[in-house]
Amino acid sequence: MSELARILLVEDDPRDVELSMTALREYNLANEVVVARDGEKALDYLYCRGEFSARPNDNPAVMLLDLKLPKVNGLEVLQQIRSDERLKLIPVVVLTSSHEEKDMIRSYSLGVNAYVVKPVDFHEFVNAIKELGVFWAVINEPPPGSVKKAP
Amino acid sequence: MTIHLAEATTAVPERHSLARWNLDLQNGRSPTRYGFSIVCVAVALGVALASQYCGVHDVELPLFELAIVVITWYAGVGPSMLAVVLSAICYSYFFSEPLYSFEISNEDLPSFFLFTASAAITAWFVAVRRRIESDLRIARDHLQVEVAERERREDEIRKLNQELTKRARDLETSNNELESFAYSVSHDLRAPLRHVVGYSELLQRQASSSLDEKSRRFMQTILESSKRMGNLIDDLLAFSRIGRAETKKALVSLDQLVKEGVAETGQDTTGRDIVWKIHPLPVCYGDRSMLKLVMGNLLANAVKFTRVRAQAEIEIGCVDGEDEIEVFVRDNGAGFDMQYVDKLFGVFQRLHLPEEFEGTGIGLATVRRIIHRHGGEVRAQGGVDQGATLYFSLPKAQDAAERTANTL
Repeated sequence: MSELARILLVEDDPRDVELSMTALREYNLANEVVVARDGEKALDYLYCRGEFSARPNDNPAVMLLDLKLPKVNGLEVLQQIRSDERLKLIPVVVLTSSHEEKDMIRSYSLGVNAYVVKPVDFHEFVNAIKELGVFWAVINEPPPGSVKKAP
Repeated sequence: MTIHLAEATTAVPERHSLARWNLDLQNGRSPTRYGFSIVCVAVALGVALASQYCGVHDVELPLFELAIVVITWYAGVGPSMLAVVLSAICYSYFFSEPLYSFEISNEDLPSFFLFTASAAITAWFVAVRRRIESDLRIARDHLQVEVAERERREDEIRKLNQELTKRARDLETSNNELESFAYSVSHDLRAPLRHVVGYSELLQRQASSSLDEKSRRFMQTILESSKRMGNLIDDLLAFSRIGRAETKKALVSLDQLVKEGVAETGQDTTGRDIVWKIHPLPVCYGDRSMLKLVMGNLLANAVKFTRVRAQAEIEIGCVDGEDEIEVFVRDNGAGFDMQYVDKLFGVFQRLHLPEEFEGTGIGLATVRRIIHRHGGEVRAQGGVDQGATLYFSLPKAQDAAERTANTL
């Protein structure tokens, strides 16, 4: 997997990872993705420590973040990066099963850029992932210090 | 109640044993009381004669008076009158000139009458006092019983209150548990469901060319069932959310809600002939978004169940009651059997086959939950193939605030 990724996908469920990757593959975005299986790994990646200590110190263009995660949950990850001077500009999209108002309010008050509820319907799910990937990794101009679009 | 009274009466302490004794005597048989009277007068006479013998004169009248007082006090009015008569006789016989005869000299006549009168008055006074005292005692006993009763009731109320507080706490705890249960079940159910759908789709994509007709139908069924389960979970989540959400109450125009509700059914009404009869509706007091959900559910139901008619008729109106308004939505659709009307508002209860009419059966349960939270009631009327009328009542706007304050 590429060490230099435009999309950081933080997702604990391997099946969700596979389905998301399937969707992204259709738009040739799969190579741009790094997967972190829990909140701790995601922070390791962002802080270039542990197994990611060798990677170039660039921020991803977007982080797709699940809320329910082992060890460090999504909201804690969000809180951590929003309080860090170097990381706080990273666009974060919460990608979750939760429709709950309190989760939405918590996420938005922590400064999330978008909140997407994973649709149960596969086509809708694939579409959502594709559109998110295309918009944030290709169309959107990421903040300075992020991985640039491949020429 | 009677048992407690009896207990309380015996609980009154017997403080004055002397008073108790005179009560016993007064309640005793007449011979004892009159005998006591005679003995007392005899003792007074004896003492007076003895004093006279010893040279002490003029003590007889006070002694007789004393005897009369004692008799009145202990034996009552009858014996005291006897004592007055006896004392008068003794006085006239032993102490007034001429001695040892019942004649009374003219000189002694006034003092004799004075004695008799004063004795009678004393007896009367004492009797009145006795009566007042015994009334007071009865009143006091009564009061004591009442105080005991009141204390007992207060204890009971306190106990009931404690029980109620505990129950409320238990209920809140179990309610919270139930809510968090519904929350996590719904969320944790959704992920595997998404995988079932996702992988089935992938499989269908991958293998659709090599699958035969039957296998394709199996795949399709898996997908449809999963989708249905997804809808059920979503509905369940939404339903549990209504129970938890805080209501934000304000004046709500029902007319406006109906207008919006009708507009939102647009997608399902295209190409259909629907006659809407909308009567003016009042303004009510409630949570706008919740009441909108109520109206939307009822209108969507009416539209759905009139699908079997060439021309659908949907009527919306209201009956103005004394302290509440009742809104109804009437249709000429498929209707339902009144035998099962109790099931109509249950969660996931359906009275039609899924092939006839789609839906999860949560709509009317949601309606009922919302209306109950507003302090109102729901009911329904209908017949098979005769259409249905669904009613919901809401407290009137002016007194709604205090009426619903307790239910929220």
